[in-house]
Amino acid sequence: MLNELLEKLNEISQMVEKDFAEAKNPADIEAAKVKFTGRNGSITALAPMMGKIAKEDKPAAGKAFNEVKALVAKCMEEAKDRLDDGTSAGEVLDVTLPGRKWTMGTQHPVTRTIDECCAIFRRMGFTVAAGPEIDTVANCFDKLNAPLDHPSRDPKDTFYFDDGRLMRTQTSTVQIRTMLSQKPPIRIVSPGRCFRRDTPDATHGVHFHQIEGLYVDKNVSLADLKSTLKAFANEFFGEGVSIRMRPHFFPFTEPSAECDFSCVMCGGKGCRVCKNSGWLEILGCGMVNPNVLRNVGINPDEWQGFAFGMGIERLAMLKYRIGDLRLFSENDLRFLKQF
Amino acid sequence: MKISLNWLKEYISFEGDPKALADSLTMAGLEVEEIVERGKIPAGIVVGKILERNPHPNSDHLSICKVDSGKGILQIVCGAPNCDAGKTVPLALEGTSFPDPEGGKPFVIKPCKLRGVESFGMMCSERELGLSEEHGGLMILPDNLPAGMDFSEYVTQDTIYTVEITPNRPDWLSHWGVARDVGALMGGKRRFPDTSVPSVEGWESWGDLVDVRERTLCPHYTARVIRGVKVGESPAWLKERLNAVGIRPINNIVDVTNFVMMELGEPLHAFDSRFLEGKKIVVRKAEEGEKIVALDGKEYTLDNSMLVIADKVKPVAIAGIMGGEYSGVMADTTEIILESAYFQPSSIRATSRKLGLSSDSSYRFERGVDPEMIENASNRAAGLIIKLAGGQLVSELVSVKSRPAERLRIICSFDKIRKLLGMNPTNEEMIDIFRKLGLLVSDVQETNCLVTVPGFRADIRETADLAEEIARIYGLDKLPDIPVQAAKVLPYSADSYAKMEGLRKDFIAAGLNECVNGSFIDEKSALSDPSVAPEDLLKVNNPISPDYAVLRATLLPGMMATIKRNIFQKNTDLAMFEIGHVFCANREKFAEERDDLVVLMTGNRHPERYCAEASEKYDFYDLKGLVESVLEARKVKKVRFEACTDARFAKGCAAKVIIGGKEAGVLGKINDKLTKGMRLTAPLFAAIFQADILLEAETEKILYKDLPTFPSTSRDVAFLAPLTLENATVIDFIRKANVKFLTDVKIFDIFQGEQLGEGKKSMAYSLTFRCDDRTLTDEEVNKEHEKLREKLSASLGVELR
Repeated sequence: MLNELLEKLNEISQMVEKDFAEAKNPADIEAAKVKFTGRNGSITALAPMMGKIAKEDKPAAGKAFNEVKALVAKCMEEAKDRLDDGTSAGEVLDVTLPGRKWTMGTQHPVTRTIDECCAIFRRMGFTVAAGPEIDTVANCFDKLNAPLDHPSRDPKDTFYFDDGRLMRTQTSTVQIRTMLSQKPPIRIVSPGRCFRRDTPDATHGVHFHQIEGLYVDKNVSLADLKSTLKAFANEFFGEGVSIRMRPHFFPFTEPSAECDFSCVMCGGKGCRVCKNSGWLEILGCGMVNPNVLRNVGINPDEWQGFAFGMGIERLAMLKYRIGDLRLFSENDLRFLKQF
Repeated sequence: MKISLNWLKEYISFEGDPKALADSLTMAGLEVEEIVERGKIPAGIVVGKILERNPHPNSDHLSICKVDSGKGILQIVCGAPNCDAGKTVPLALEGTSFPDPEGGKPFVIKPCKLRGVESFGMMCSERELGLSEEHGGLMILPDNLPAGMDFSEYVTQDTIYTVEITPNRPDWLSHWGVARDVGALMGGKRRFPDTSVPSVEGWESWGDLVDVRERTLCPHYTARVIRGVKVGESPAWLKERLNAVGIRPINNIVDVTNFVMMELGEPLHAFDSRFLEGKKIVVRKAEEGEKIVALDGKEYTLDNSMLVIADKVKPVAIAGIMGGEYSGVMADTTEIILESAYFQPSSIRATSRKLGLSSDSSYRFERGVDPEMIENASNRAAGLIIKLAGGQLVSELVSVKSRPAERLRIICSFDKIRKLLGMNPTNEEMIDIFRKLGLLVSDVQETNCLVTVPGFRADIRETADLAEEIARIYGLDKLPDIPVQAAKVLPYSADSYAKMEGLRKDFIAAGLNECVNGSFIDEKSALSDPSVAPEDLLKVNNPISPDYAVLRATLLPGMMATIKRNIFQKNTDLAMFEIGHVFCANREKFAEERDDLVVLMTGNRHPERYCAEASEKYDFYDLKGLVESVLEARKVKKVRFEACTDARFAKGCAAKVIIGGKEAGVLGKINDKLTKGMRLTAPLFAAIFQADILLEAETEKILYKDLPTFPSTSRDVAFLAPLTLENATVIDFIRKANVKFLTDVKIFDIFQGEQLGEGKKSMAYSLTFRCDDRTLTDEEVNKEHEKLREKLSASLGVELR
């Protein structure tokens, strides 16, 4: 009996391998499965034979049954694997529908520009210093060597309070505060809001933002200033930008210069923005006037240094090609989302 | 100011490219803003002779002229009042093309009909030819020019520079001064103009002509008398000079004073001596309320801070600013008193500003003229007047002069200059530059020299100023490129700006759009924030307008205005923030200035999504969740939210945020009273913080904790509670209930409904149990769970479900 059973099972085994190997679709696989192990399947049909097997042969017969059932399972898996190339998932997506976006915030171009400037100057060893926006005439004008009848002091141009203090017109106030509270060497930049009595229009506002730099040490020279500004220009506007310094006049520096960057719009060829000169006036700078150093108790024979200042809005307008200053204070979402 | 290249060449030889000279001047600090080629006459303009003038039948201001063009007689319709027969004029023939000064299309002369009469060309005024601003009539040419001659042969070609002069360089307000720098830059020797004076004839005693009563405000006053002048038109060369620099010629006397001002930088004034009562010049302060009608025809009321030139009884000029209308040179003037003086700059500036009156003269005096040029300028003008207008000197120069200030001497250290500049000009190069600039160099040593500063360079006070002269002339383009040296870098903790930057970036990372609003707002808006009292507001004395009258005491009004503007622009879904300075006059609230942070949210939470999500509105918990997320990301410890009542927020929808026991801010749904007229499409939520409390909040130090080895088990607990029971109370209770192995508790469901009964809500919490050294058994967990349920029921008074 045992041999007969084993022989039949062996035959079935061969058919199992063949049928599953020839299956061309899931239906064929299902049919083969039914054919062998279904209720009327050929393997199921052999089960009654177990009863007729001698007791000592039963383990061998059982093992043979299990082997053939395992073979069915194995061949069926193989056939499924063979037919399944991964495309038969049940769900079909419209992948062109919009995704559920994660909201990302945006930074205002003014603070973005300030942060970028600070990052550049920090890499050059400057520390960022802050100070109040309401300050004294001494810190805003006197100590900066502004002549007593300098027009910038006029109440036509500067906001004053009853107690004689004012809204700072420049962040140089922070330079004075720093030099009064620290000993050189000093290397700071001071970004912040300043105020001038301009009627708001496309190029003027009641407030604007500035970043100013100050570096006082034993041997800081005009050449260091130029190299620092060149490094800034190249980091902020790109490697291709060149700079030039033109002698100029400011009460707080001597020698003084205006620093032009080659036009970032036309690359220096000349365009409407640079009035065909190829250059853009970007900032004022110079060597700290010895009087300013004396005013804060620093000996100009021992120490010297440079200072510079530039307008944040101007930098941002050039960098992002913004034509109207008022956009900065309107905070229209469509504007803000572009940054 | 305008500089004529031809005029410059009278004092210094220059043969190079005018554009290159402009570049050199710009790079030496005298910025050339514009270069205009003057006398560039378009092709096709010839000398014409008017043969006939007849009235136009259809116009009372046009004339019909017959003009000899040299190549035939042309009929030309002309509108000028002076197109009389016999005049010689510039004539633009058919085809002449006038360029548009604005850069537009050129204007081309074509035959045309004017009021029905044909015209074949155009006779020109000086303005049409770009020669002056004169447009009152045709330019009249000398009669000896032949008809048909190319007009451009008659006109002098010149290059006109418009220069921007920095306030420290009044010496550049003259051609002589600019020539000095041209010489220093380009080389070449300068020639000083002829200042010789004819001898005095018929000497009279004029010794007490001038009485200077204000020696400080007028340290030097000179006057001289010229008798027998004949006022008339200036010669062509003089008119040409003045026209070239944009000054309108008036008559030979006035033109000479203006010419000398533009030549030497010293403003002069000529009085008609007939109108000086008592033939006396008194330099004094005006009397309070004294009045004068100036040359501009306007009456000015003076005060006693202002310096005037007066005769025996009345002011005849506002000193250094403008002469009086009734004392100047007139057509019938025969005797003039010529003034040349030095006035104190600050006094001139103050008076000019107070009167709102400035002139070429005040512009120079307030910057400071060369005190050493006063007498030379008078001599130069006297010589020219006598040459051009006749007359003779009947007085010596009457000169009232305080003891002159000594010339400043500076010990100049060559090394200090090199150290300041970071460039290495030699001692000799530096000395050469000083000398070319007219500075006097003496006592030259190895390390230094003595520089004596003449009067025209009052801006040079010390070595740093000399360094600038070297930098200018030696050339800033020679500054070497040197590596930027890294310096001692201060720690991050010293960088308050960086901390603020961090806070800002956290809110951006959380998905908000940053705004920047103005510091100045109108008082009504400032007070629209109920937390602001009128006495909090800081006001400047001189606001630009009521819209910018006060400094913002809080950020809320500015942001509300921003929200309103956006909604008007149909940007209805907004989640924005601002970090900015606020100001307070009430020191009990805070010390004047601080930084605040405000977040505002309204509209749809996910406007870019679709289906149901697209219309979900922001609610209180979005805002609170945002605040919690940011605080969590910043590892801020001891954060608590506490319901509060606040006029800014709707009742029952506001919470204080307490960090480490301090009130850091408040958040909630904005009170409807504040949002009237904003056309909100959804409720508006705001969170308002004091930035320094957020920045200084105690934070958790990041220390790694081992990941748990054994699994956790969870249980739920649900109960009915009164509506007033707050989540925080439940969590606090469970945390403090001594439940063993409990590691986490959080709410997972909350609802109200009729079936629960009035005043009740259902709350359900999920509890997590875990033990660090083994897997907990169900029995252990159940025991703790049951214990907690009993405690909740007994002590918190809730009905377990």
